[in-house]
Amino acid sequence: MGEFKGSSKAGDLTVALSNDELHILINLVEQLLELLGERNFIHHYQSDDPFAQLMAASVGNLESAIDQPEDPVLRRLLPNGYADPESAAEFRKYTESSLRMVKQTHLMYLREQLVFPVDHELPKADIAVTDPTQWLIAINDLRLALAVRLDIKQDSYEMYELMKDSDPQKPLFAVYFWLGGIQESLINHL
Amino acid sequence: MEEELDLSKFFDNLWITIVWDDPVNLMNYVTYVFTKLFNFSPEKAHKLMMQVHTEGKAVVSSGTREEMERVVQQLHEHGLWATLQMDDHGRV
Repeated sequence: MGEFKGSSKAGDLTVALSNDELHILINLVEQLLELLGERNFIHHYQSDDPFAQLMAASVGNLESAIDQPEDPVLRRLLPNGYADPESAAEFRKYTESSLRMVKQTHLMYLREQLVFPVDHELPKADIAVTDPTQWLIAINDLRLALAVRLDIKQDSYEMYELMKDSDPQKPLFAVYFWLGGIQESLINHL
Repeated sequence: MEEELDLSKFFDNLWITIVWDDPVNLMNYVTYVFTKLFNFSPEKAHKLMMQVHTEGKAVVSSGTREEMERVVQQLHEHGLWATLQMDDHGRV
C-alpha cells in the first residue's frame, strides 16, 4: 500500500492509502503538530490580524537567547546551527520560530490532504499529491520524529526483521519503515 | 594588549556549511535536497551525499556567514542535520 500513480510533471500524481493507513498518518501528523506547537506563538502567527502578528513577532524578538528544546524529537527537528553553544543559542533566537512555522506549514498541508473517501465502503482513497515537495518534507519530519522515539540506527531494519510479532514495538517500527517506502517511492515519481 | 585581528571582517568568504550523516534521511532524499537547494548536477549531488554517508560529513556550501546561516536554515527546513563554521582549511 502507499502506491503512487501518475507523475508530478503531468500534475496527476496520486497515492493510494487504505483507511487504516490514513488513520495512522493523520494521527502521526497531529501528534507532531502538537509537539511543535509548544513554546511557540503559533496562535498569534496563525491570526490574520496584522496587529496580532506584529505582537507575536515583537514578543519573539524580546526574548534573550533560547536554549535547545528539551524533547529529543524537537532537538532533532530544530537542531543547533553551530557546534559552539553560544553561537547556536544566538542563531536559534532569530531562526527557531520560523523553522517551527515552516515545519508546521508542511504538516498542516499534509493534514489537509489526508481525506477519507466520501464513500466509506471504499477500501482505499486515492489522495492527490498536489505539492510533492511539501509531502516529502512532512513525511521526512514524521520519520525523523519516529526515529528518535524508536532510537533508529543503521542496523535497525535487520533488528526489525528479527523482532517477534508479539513485540509491542514492532508495529511502530513497521510504520517507520512503511513511511520510508512512501518517501522513496514519492522521490521516484517526481 | 593588542587584540587579535579578526580576519573574517576583511575576508567575507570564510564560512562553510557542513551536512552531518544520520541513519534516518534516505540517500535519494539527501541527493534530492542537494540538487534542489544548490542546483547541483545529479552526479555532484550524489557524490556529496555519498561523502556524507561514508565519511560522516561533507562541506556542501561556502560563502559569507549570512549566506551560510540561510543555507543551514534551509537544510534544517528539509530535515537535514547541518551546521556552519568558519573555514579553517581553505576554500571549498
